[in-house]
Amino acid sequence: MRRTDIKENVSRETFSFLFVNSGAHRCIACYMMSLIITVLFAVGCLLCIVNGISPLDELISGADGAVKLCASLAGSYLIWMGLMNVAKRAGLVEKLARLIRKPLGLLMPGVSGAAAPITMNLAANFFGLGNAATPFGIDAMRELKREAHGSESATANICMFLALNASAIELLPTNVLAIRFSLGAADAYSIVLPTLISSIFAAVAAIIASKAFASIIK
Amino acid sequence: MKLLFPTLIALLLIYALIKRCDPYDAFVEGARDAVPTLLSILPNLALMLGSIAVFRAGGGFELISRLLSPVFGALGVPAELIPLLVMRPFSGSAALAVLSDVLKTYGADSFIGNAASVCVGSTETIVYTIALYCGSAGIKKTSYAIPVALISGAVGVITGIAAVKLLLG
Repeated sequence: MRRTDIKENVSRETFSFLFVNSGAHRCIACYMMSLIITVLFAVGCLLCIVNGISPLDELISGADGAVKLCASLAGSYLIWMGLMNVAKRAGLVEKLARLIRKPLGLLMPGVSGAAAPITMNLAANFFGLGNAATPFGIDAMRELKREAHGSESATANICMFLALNASAIELLPTNVLAIRFSLGAADAYSIVLPTLISSIFAAVAAIIASKAFASIIK
Repeated sequence: MKLLFPTLIALLLIYALIKRCDPYDAFVEGARDAVPTLLSILPNLALMLGSIAVFRAGGGFELISRLLSPVFGALGVPAELIPLLVMRPFSGSAALAVLSDVLKTYGADSFIGNAASVCVGSTETIVYTIALYCGSAGIKKTSYAIPVALISGAVGVITGIAAVKLLLG
């Protein structure tokens, strides 16, 4: 074997984990979240030490924040999941799902049980109820996973759902408006229309991009 | 808007009662399911928020902003917005804090202030959301969800800045 061949083989082996390949089980790019966390933590640690800050203290206080966030989510989570079940038993969820299944099927083919929580999640986001959107989103993810027979990797439908969440279509960006009011903006609402327009562009881009990625990976 | 949801909830309870499907029992049953879910998202949140805190304390977001400024510049994004945009996918509360700083520094009605507001409004804390959703559903491989989310965010920011230029001058 020529020397360059060996070199090429070695480099391909070494970096094979970087290539997104649906067949490869060990590619690191598939574990994107672990990659992000590891980079954030490792680089963060290094920077903290350089700047004379204790990374462990920051790590623990961040985790404390998680407990606080969970506690503050708990109330709305209990309420919305409870109400969702009332609507489910009254047959309203099934009605909503039947209504929305066809249009949703264009974006996410084969979606059935997840249709209702997906709709509720997108509606809650649209009306600026971020805390209510989270439980519906988690519910939707679990249903989508069940529809994928419990697969541990994100299916095309899951990626489409996450992409729609990423584009953040909101009628009123309530948090932003609250800050603008508190800082005395002359016309706090002036940003509503440009925000809506750019959200719609972002949603279209998200849909096109996830369809494109899905067809490449297939 | 303030009355819409309370009214809907009241109507839902009345409707369930008329249909004789015991709304009290149904509510408790549904809310009970929320408890294990809440406990199962806690580990995801702890690791996510912990590492973000370490990265933030060390000045990592400032470092990324500096490294990425040529890329953002090429896309026509004003330099004043870069720290905000780098922070945005990871932490909603931190991004709102940075937005408030930007509005105070440049004025809430300035071009930078308007553009910053639109950028925050038309994007989402998507890395955090994907971590939370996938973690709680037990999905280990996120496939192409994060690149798609970042593309969507970039389109939102670029069109947002263009829309502010066109509509608000």
